[in-house]
Amino acid sequence: MKKEDERARQEFASEAEELLEALSSGVVELESQGSEVRPDLVNKIFREVHSLKGLAGMLGFTDIAELSHNLEDMLDKLRMGKIPINRDLIDVLFDSVDSLNRLLLSLGDSEIEGLVDVPKLTSRIHALSNRQEHDVEERLLDEIDLDEQTRRSLTEYEEHRLRENLRKKKKILSIELDFDFATFDERLRAATGALNETGELISTLPALDPSGAGDGISFRLLYGTEAEIEEIAAKLDPAARIRSLRKQEESEAEPVAADAASEGGIDDEISLRSVSRTVRVDIGRLDGVMNIVGELIVEKTHLEALTRAVGAQQERISPQEIAKIARNFDRKLSDLQRSVIEIRMVPVGQIYSKLSRTVRKIARELGKEIELTLRGEETELDKMMVEELSDPLMHIIRNAIDHGIEAPDVRQKAGKSSVGRVTLDAYQKGNSVVLDVRDDGRGIDVEGVRKTAVARKLIDPKESIDLSRAIELLFTPGFSTAAAVSEISGRGVGLDVAKRNIQELKGTIEVISDAGRGTTFRISLPITLAIIQALLVRSGEDTYAIPLTSVEESLRIRPEEIRTVEGREVFNLRDRAIPLLRLADAFASRGVTDREKYFVVITRSGDRQIGLVVDSLVRQQEIVIKSIGERLKKMPGIAGATEIGENEIVLVVDVGSLIEHFGSEARGARRKSQKAEGRRQK
Amino acid sequence: MRSMLTNIIESETEELDLEIVEASSGFEALKILPHHQFDAVVTDINMPDINGLELVSFLKNHPSYRSIPVMVVSTESTSEDRRRAAALGAEDYLVKPFDPAELVAKLRKLLA
Repeated sequence: MKKEDERARQEFASEAEELLEALSSGVVELESQGSEVRPDLVNKIFREVHSLKGLAGMLGFTDIAELSHNLEDMLDKLRMGKIPINRDLIDVLFDSVDSLNRLLLSLGDSEIEGLVDVPKLTSRIHALSNRQEHDVEERLLDEIDLDEQTRRSLTEYEEHRLRENLRKKKKILSIELDFDFATFDERLRAATGALNETGELISTLPALDPSGAGDGISFRLLYGTEAEIEEIAAKLDPAARIRSLRKQEESEAEPVAADAASEGGIDDEISLRSVSRTVRVDIGRLDGVMNIVGELIVEKTHLEALTRAVGAQQERISPQEIAKIARNFDRKLSDLQRSVIEIRMVPVGQIYSKLSRTVRKIARELGKEIELTLRGEETELDKMMVEELSDPLMHIIRNAIDHGIEAPDVRQKAGKSSVGRVTLDAYQKGNSVVLDVRDDGRGIDVEGVRKTAVARKLIDPKESIDLSRAIELLFTPGFSTAAAVSEISGRGVGLDVAKRNIQELKGTIEVISDAGRGTTFRISLPITLAIIQALLVRSGEDTYAIPLTSVEESLRIRPEEIRTVEGREVFNLRDRAIPLLRLADAFASRGVTDREKYFVVITRSGDRQIGLVVDSLVRQQEIVIKSIGERLKKMPGIAGATEIGENEIVLVVDVGSLIEHFGSEARGARRKSQKAEGRRQK
Repeated sequence: MRSMLTNIIESETEELDLEIVEASSGFEALKILPHHQFDAVVTDINMPDINGLELVSFLKNHPSYRSIPVMVVSTESTSEDRRRAAALGAEDYLVKPFDPAELVAKLRKLLA
């Protein structure tokens, strides 16, 4: 790049950055105003985009110029009241800001170029710009993913019924049924009769039978109901294809957008994560926080009064009085903490619609028919975790479609429906949120995994493996490389990355395989990362915090209860040998002495257990995990640091990585060194 | 029992020498389709089982029936549905109540 070009680029970049920053905060504000948007705010956003367009156009940055030009058109219509403000529009604005930022970054980095699909975004913007002012009725239909043919075949009355169902917040299901031509009328009448008991049949669209043999006929029913999908499925033929058409709250409602997105390449993966760092909060929750703050102020006043009294030495202050204030403070602060955690919570359903779009695309690319069922969208999780979760979740779902679900002909031979089912189920379990990704495919193919592992030089060709070793291999770096992923994403990312992402969220992945019937990937996550309950333990002179979510139980043992089996220490817990790890060895604790008794903290990560041997248990405490420096970060078994009381900093144990690092020591030296190698690559 | 509409069509189109097969519901219409070589389909919009638009959509997406001309019959109040039928590929429409002469003229045009 020539010198003057470079200078122009830099000048442009810094000015554009400022404009984008302003634009971004404008959009955030726009979102927070709901449907009552201040006209001057729209005008301000419009002007910023207008300036950006002018600037980029002048300097010949065509992508930025084109994108901002289209945005400007849309915003112009918005400020003139020609198009409505809605979720789609806000989404497009956020995505545009994100894309413009990326384009701006790419000015200096050719690698990022191509990550932004300008035509795709442009077509979404056009779709919004060209939509005339919708009335409320029209927008109702945008809440569902209705295919074009069904939509066009609705009579005015049926459309009215559909709207009524939407207005009443009923589920809208698409039910596809296949019949023999000879008997379809009786069987369909039986089905619709059953359906009418629990909801309203809105339309019945006949279609060619999918086999094309000519002796069958299919029907696509549009059905409004309050019943659960499972309940409806139970009434119908097991081969019925049922899916909910209602989009998630955060969805990109435009069908055009869905199509465009599915054609897009690499960008889809990036767009899974939303740009917004904003959390919408129920005003009631904020009121709660406000009340607690008010109470804290009262306590502070007490404290001040006491301080004055001490200063004037008017009276003796009893320690009890101070202790009481401290207790009140403590109580109020934990209330406050809880409230703030609640505020950070968002439903995981926020990422569901994006997941289903990507699933459609992957299924199409792989020539597989997939029915995705998403459940538990109301399950709440920390906002930042939901964000971080979408990528690993997508990898696991992709893996299920790619490797779990068999090709349609294989499935039919096995007596299964040609349509593969993938279910994502989110639910809360104690202090954790669990996400199950279940497929009805072939289960883990141990022999197939072994062959791949041999081909990738991860194991010795002579080594025979069992299911649990196969699962371990699935998550080994280098296992899923090009051949496994290239057709889909073209990127060398595999389950190992997904696992690492989950571990960074202090979560675990467990795999449950049922040969021939399917596989479940179970992700367990703490509800929030910010504050956790931990068990403080002492080893030598050092104190460590073990997250309580990983702790199963703790007990006292005498040194003679520790046995050595195959070169590693174990002890028997209710007739089961639990491998032991002395925390002092793992972290090279200072001041370790032999003792007459030890404590064992039984910890679990996924399906693996390990007993951590410590000198003593200190107490249970809520801790706030702080991240630590790069050097300590690389240390296996450490999640971070936390401050407990008076300036005392202790390390927080990461049980998952601890087990991974030390858990298989007894497996033999060769594999150990290989594992260590793998970890270094991470 | 044959409907009034069928009787009207038959009497009014005597000169065209048509054989009329009647279906009393959407399902019945689907059932009789493979058994005849239809030169034209005249359908109501509001009918039991599946409505006229759904029938048009089925016909116009079916490789064997795509080319059969379709005329939808509806009342004046459902002009929006007529527009939708046309969008789905219906060739013509007739508004109830209709002038028999108009029906004959339109059918003649469809069959031409």
